[in-house]
Formats: sequence, structure tokens, C-alpha cells
Amino acid sequence: MAVSPLVFPPAPADKNAGAKLSKLSNQGFNGAAPEGPSASSGTRDLAEQMNEEEKQKYVKGKKLGEGTYANVYLGHLRDDPKRLVAIKKIKIQKEYTEGMAPDAVRELKHLQEISHPNIISLLSVFSSKDQNLNLVLEYLPLGDLEMLIKDVEGVRYGAADIKAWMGMLSRAIWFCHENFVLHRDIKPNNLLIAADGEVKLADFGLARSFSDPYRIMTSNVITRWYRPPELLFGAKHYSGAVDIWSVGLVFAELVIRTPYIAGDTEVGQVNLICQAVGTPTEENWPGVSKLPEYAVPDPPNPIRGRDQYLGTFGTAGQEGVDLLMAMLILDPRKRITAREVLQHPWWASEPKPTRKQDLPRKEGGAEKIGEDLKRRPGILDDERGAKVARKLDFGKM
Amino acid sequence: MSEDERYRTSTQYRYWSYTPDSLAELRTTTNRIAADRVREAVQSAREAAVVSSAETSETENGSRAATAIQYIKRFYITNSLMTYHPTSILKTALFFATKTENHYFRLTKFADAIGKTTPEDVLASEFLLTQGLRFTFDVRHPFRALEGAVMELQAMANGQIPAADKPWEGREMGKRVKDAHGKAREYLKTSALLTDVYFHFTPSQIMMASLLIADPDLLTWYIGVKLPAEPMREKVMMTLEDCSSILRTVEPTSQPSGDELKELKRLAKKLNKCRNPEKMDLVGLQRAKREGEDGEEEKAIKKRKLEREKSAREGDDLFGPALTKNES
Repeated sequence: MAVSPLVFPPAPADKNAGAKLSKLSNQGFNGAAPEGPSASSGTRDLAEQMNEEEKQKYVKGKKLGEGTYANVYLGHLRDDPKRLVAIKKIKIQKEYTEGMAPDAVRELKHLQEISHPNIISLLSVFSSKDQNLNLVLEYLPLGDLEMLIKDVEGVRYGAADIKAWMGMLSRAIWFCHENFVLHRDIKPNNLLIAADGEVKLADFGLARSFSDPYRIMTSNVITRWYRPPELLFGAKHYSGAVDIWSVGLVFAELVIRTPYIAGDTEVGQVNLICQAVGTPTEENWPGVSKLPEYAVPDPPNPIRGRDQYLGTFGTAGQEGVDLLMAMLILDPRKRITAREVLQHPWWASEPKPTRKQDLPRKEGGAEKIGEDLKRRPGILDDERGAKVARKLDFGKM
Repeated sequence: MSEDERYRTSTQYRYWSYTPDSLAELRTTTNRIAADRVREAVQSAREAAVVSSAETSETENGSRAATAIQYIKRFYITNSLMTYHPTSILKTALFFATKTENHYFRLTKFADAIGKTTPEDVLASEFLLTQGLRFTFDVRHPFRALEGAVMELQAMANGQIPAADKPWEGREMGKRVKDAHGKAREYLKTSALLTDVYFHFTPSQIMMASLLIADPDLLTWYIGVKLPAEPMREKVMMTLEDCSSILRTVEPTSQPSGDELKELKRLAKKLNKCRNPEKMDLVGLQRAKREGEDGEEEKAIKKRKLEREKSAREGDDLFGPALTKNES
């Protein structure tokens, strides 16, 4: 309540250069403020003029990637060609005939509200003549975490590097949850890397605000390998815990450099979780058997113990393994929260996280950002073929 | 992160908050006669929205309708009513709010149901609308804030939260809070949407101002408990007075009128009737078509069966079966 309402909106930060209303109201629009109803005098509406002004701020350059959902271009500021941006042009989709695409609506709604060093910045939005949406995003030229994880030969990294990357991811997801947003598609190739080594969470095409009590949500979100058991069992009420499970699996993958639980199907995914983590039962997760699609292989496996985790993830150290285990607790109500993650003793224990400018990096990121930004949310790379539709469409809601 | 810090990062604060003067100036710039007609359009929108969602739960329909209304109000700050007719923008705003508020409604059904409207009509101004909204779709409402304050007040009434100098005994206070809750909600559902308070005040201020109208003694005591120190207490109270005097300019009981509204009511009723039955099935078919995967239909059948069994099971649950529509 300390906010005084009787102020102009703050001068727009460079992030939101579009916020010019207060200025406009003082000065008129370029001295050409319409006197009466603007249309009757043939002048464009204010909204259109503002859009045009926004569009003029950027120059679109070469294409970085082309997909069914979006094309991604390199761009720069007209006034300052050294300031690079990525322009994601959302395509009009033939198969989606109901106006602005759901992914774009979600991405815009949430990215417009969220501003954090570890979350990709939406610098501006404008429309081009053909009514295509253009999202101006910060340019992240160093690829993504998946690229680093996969290049086992070319990229070497250690516990301190993992801690630095995990720290940035954990802060990003804490910030989302603090703002009541579920990301619902955390995975290594949605974690892009800025020129200075900062990790940025991208792709909010599946994100949504926390639901109201009793209001159901779809369980068909999060790319399969990173999907928590409650969603695989069809839970319709869930929390930030779904994202934490994904964060845990990114952590595991960073350590062992291969996806930890990589099922071919949803059933396969459940089976692998039962092997790798333990079988969800009424004992370790009261109520689980009531979830609509609960089905687990017989006989149940006990919850994997600390020693087994230490065997596989020992590089992360005692505290690191403790944190990983807390992220992979089957019962979402007992799983560690984003805030608790940040309070975990691992961060303060040795080794200290690597400074971001010293983190390992890899060339070839420009193509990668093109790949990453044009992708539909919720799918695995090797499934990008024709048979896989996006995991979430409005029809299922 | 405090509530205030969070709110100051929102587009509602950064893009859509004005002083009364700057807002008036903008509207003049856009269209001298805008304000009155916007109110008219908004009145109709509210009615249509409320009617069309009468069967859904209170908070749900509250926020969807309220969001559509704010879209219209924001849109007409920079777009002229002379250029764009409110009825077409209104349909589009209602439809678009179903997308942004996670309450999606198939476009063809939406258009069919309201009649005399093609999907193209609804979509025709969608892009225009989003441009007028400057591609910011998040609207912060005071509804949840009210529920929170009421929960706290009830807990104070029954002693779960200790409160010094309580001027009422528990049961009496409980009754007061309940009455104030109902009355305040009426103001939030009507007055708050039809006036400009969203442009000038934060959601919590709007909520508190509605409680101030509903029960001045209760609210004054509550603010005193939360903010015992001056000058903050007095400053806040002055802001709430300002806000409540704007709210009072449109009483919840005032009835909108006009042919447009009648027509919309009729459309909304039709829309409502067409809404639920078989929706899930159509959606399933559509999905199967889109994914074009063999066995998808079988999967869908199996899923429906599971869902039937599930709702049979959950019928015995404490809270009844889960809703099966509108998930997102």
C-alpha cells in the first residue's frame, strides 16, 4: 500500500522502451497529436503510431533459425548497431486457426511481467504489416546448457561450474514462483547463455500463473524426461514442485552429462522413475494411488538411498547430493521449494561457484539461439518431426 | 519480495497507471467523446460477461469478465471509438480474455453460440486489440486481495490471530466481516470495473476502499491494527478515501441500459447454453486430427474411460469430483 497511485508510470527502463504513454500525454505525439477523432482526419490511431515507432527502433538482420512456430533473426538497435537483439517472429500457423497462438499469448503475458537477470528479457514487441508478432529478445550468443552437457569431448567442467549454473537456474525459478508463475518446461536447451556467461531461463510458451484453489490445470506439460511423477499420474492440481523436479533432473544431467531419466513413452518414464528414484506408493506419498493415471510396475522398488546417489552423483559432494535428493522427492508436498533451494547449505560449501566470466563456453551459439527460440514448447528435440504436436493446445484446456 | 515491489514491476503499474489528469489528456487526444461511450461499452461487456459465465464459480468468472473489461478500457485509451465499434471489440475482448485467463473456449463454438457472428468477426479485431493493449495481457485484480483480507479478519474475529483492542466480541465481529465481504465484493465486481480506479490505484488499495465503503468502522480499525504508526496510517486512509469516492460514483445497483446490452444479454445466454455438452469430445477429435498419430483415438477413448472412472471414484471425495473442463 505504500505505492502512491498519483504518479506517472516510471520512465521506462530500456527493457520496456514501449512505455511512452505518459510522455505522449505531455507532449502530444511528435507534435502531431490528433485534435479530434483521429480516424476521421485520416490520421492513424495512437496505438498504431506507437507500434510503428517501436518497430523503427530495430533493424532485422540475418535469419538465425526457421521453424514451424517461429523464425528467429539477428537484429540490432537502429541507433546503436553494436547492441544486438534476437527477433522472434511468430508465424501465422495454418493448423491453428483461432487467432494469436496459445504459446505466444503465454510467452507474452508472462515475459512482459517478469524481469530478472536469469530470465530472458523481452525488450520489445511490435507487429509487422502482415500482422506477425515480433518479440524482441535479448541476444544470447553462447548457446545453451544442453550444448555444453553434450560436448563431453570438447567441454570440460567441474563441480564449481555446475554450482554456478545451478545457482543461476535456481534463482530464475525462485523468481518465477515468487511471482506466482509456473514455467512448466524447464530443460537444458531452455537455459540459454549470455555473452558474459549468465544463464537465462527462456521459453515461457507453457507457463501459467498459479491456479486458484480448486481450479484444475492440465497435467500435459513439461517435456517428458523432465516431467515429475505427479504429472505423469495425471494430477490436475499442482504447484511449483513440478518445476523443482525438472530443476533436479537438470542438476543430475549436468553431473552425469546425459539425461538421467529418459523414457521413450510416458509409461516408460514412470518405470524409469521407479528404478532411478523409487516407486511412488501410499507409504512414501499418501494419496498417490488416487491420482487418475496412477500405475506402477510390480514389485515396488524402495526409495534409492543416499549411498546410491553418492555413487552416481558423488562429484556434486555430500551437500550437493543432499540437495539433489530433496529435489527428487516423489511426494510433491515434501519436495524442496525454490526458496528452500536457495537456503540450502550446498551453496556455501566448497567449492565456491565459478565466476560467470570464467565458466566454460563453446562457440556456435548463434545458430543455437536460433534453434532454441523457434522451437515449440514441451517437446524433445528428437521428436521434432511431423507426428509430434505441441504438448499443450488450448483445445485441451 | 514484498507485494509492493512485485506490483511495481507489473505492466499494470508501468504501462497502465496514470494520474487523473494524464489519463484525461490521453483520452482527449484519442477521442474527445471516448470516455462516456467506453463506459457504455464496458457496462455492456460486464453484463454480457457476467451472464455468459453465470454457471462457473465466482472467482473464475469474476476474473475473466473483469479482465475483458480492463482490456476494453485500456484499448480505448489509444484507439478511437469512432474507428472501432465497441460491440466488435467487446466480442474479441471476451474471447481473448478466455485465452489469457486460462479459460479457453473454442472459437467456432464461441462464434456459433453468440450467433450473427463468424469466427472471422471475432478474430478480425484480435490483433488490433492486442496491439492496443501494447501486448501486455496481465491484469491484476483486487478479488484475491479481498479473500485474503477477509480470511485474516475472520481469523482475528475467532481469535486464531490475536488482535489487541478488538472493539467487537468474536461472533459479532464474524458477522460484520461476513456482511462487509459480500458488500465489498459487489463494489469490486461492478464499481471497480466501471470506474477508472484500476488506472489510479493498486489492487490492494481498491480492495481496502471497497471495504471502507462496506464497513467504515471495521476497515478503520483494521488499518489501525496493520499500520499503527502515523503518518503512514493517515496517508493510507486518505488514499482509500480518494479511491472509495471514485467507486461510489457508480453504485453496484445501477443498471446499464440500451439495446446493445439487451442484444448482448441474449447472445450471452445462448452462448452459455451451448457451452458445456460434448465440448470435451470435440476437443479430443480436434486433437487427434492435429496430432495425426495412429492410435491416438484409442488413447482418447481410454482416457475418457479413465476419466469416467475417476469421477466415479472422486464422487466420494470430500470436495466432490474434480471439474473436467477448462483445465490449462
